[in-house]
Amino acid sequence: MKLFAATLITLAAVGLAWAQPAAAPADSNVRHVIGLDSIKQDATGKLTVQDGALRFTAGASEEKVPIASIDDIFVGTETTQSGGKTGRNVKIVAIAAPYESGKVLTLLMRTKVDILTVAYHDPDGALHGAIFALPIGQAALMRTQLTQAGAHASPPENPVSEGSKP
Amino acid sequence: MSNRPIFVVLGLCWTLAAPAIASAQTAAKPKLSASAIQIAMVESGGGVQIPAEFRFAVYERLVERVRASGAFQKVYRAGDRAADGIPDLVTLRTKVDAFKEGSQTKRELTSVTGATKVDVTASVTTRDGQTLLAQKIVGRVRYFGENLGVTNDLAKRITKLMRETF
Repeated sequence: MKLFAATLITLAAVGLAWAQPAAAPADSNVRHVIGLDSIKQDATGKLTVQDGALRFTAGASEEKVPIASIDDIFVGTETTQSGGKTGRNVKIVAIAAPYESGKVLTLLMRTKVDILTVAYHDPDGALHGAIFALPIGQAALMRTQLTQAGAHASPPENPVSEGSKP
Repeated sequence: MSNRPIFVVLGLCWTLAAPAIASAQTAAKPKLSASAIQIAMVESGGGVQIPAEFRFAVYERLVERVRASGAFQKVYRAGDRAADGIPDLVTLRTKVDAFKEGSQTKRELTSVTGATKVDVTASVTTRDGQTLLAQKIVGRVRYFGENLGVTNDLAKRITKLMRETF
C-alpha cells in the first residue's frame, strides 16, 4: 500500500511539473503536427519568420515555406497532454494503478495549446496544410508576424475549436 | 410416406449452393482501375462547422496514407498542375456531414463520454464527372489521444475503402 501511495505521489508530482506553462522563448517549443514533408510528425522545434519565409527547424532538419506562397492562416486551440511522448508513456503505466487512481494524472497532465494552420501552395500549385501546436497565446502572434511580412490571410473566422473542450 | 428425405436433399443443396452464390456475388464486384488520383480539399457541407485544422489534417493524412497504400501509381494534391494531362485521373472528394468535438479529459476519465466524431461522405469521380463511388464514413476518437486524432482514424478508413475499390 505504501509503495502504491509513493508511486502515485511521484507520478502526480511529475504530472504537475509537466503541466506548468513552458518558459521557453516565444519561437521555440513548437510541435509539428503534420504537413511538412521533410520534418517528422510530432517533431518539436523552432518556428520563425525570417528572410521572407516561415522556417521550422527541428534538430538538423529544416523546412521553409515562402511567405509569398501562403494562401491562408488559421488559429485554433486544442487541449492535449503535457510531457510529450514520455508523458504519454507515464500515463499508460498509470492506467495499471489500482482503483483507476491513475486517472488523476489525466487531470494533472492536461495542457492547452494553440494550433496554427498554414495553407500554402508549392511551385506546381499543389495545396499543402502545415499544422503546428504552439504554447497558448503564441499562434495569434505568429499569424500577425506572418501577415506583417506579407502573407495572405483571410479575416479570422469564429472557429469551433476556440472553446475547445478540455 | 415421410417427406423427410426431400428436406434433407433440399438442405444439402442449399448448403452446397450458398458458398457458390456468395463467391459469385463477390466476384461480381470487380475492382476499378485508375493510374492516378487527386485528393481534393476537405469540404464542409450544409453549413457544418469544423475547424480549419481538422479539415487540413484530414487532407494531409489522406495524401500520406493513400500514397503509402500503393493503390495508385501517382497521388496528386489539390491544385497540382501536373495532374492536368492524365486522362484516367480520378478525384477523391471528402465532404463533412457532421462534426462533434469531444473532450480528451472526459474520454480518459469516464471511458464512455467525450468521444470526438466526424461523419463524412467520401466520393470518387472521373474527369467527366461520373461518380464511381460514394460512401458515408465515420471517424472517431473514443478513448486515448487528442481530438485531432480523429483525422487519422478517418483517413485510415477512407484509405481502406480506396484499397478495396482500386
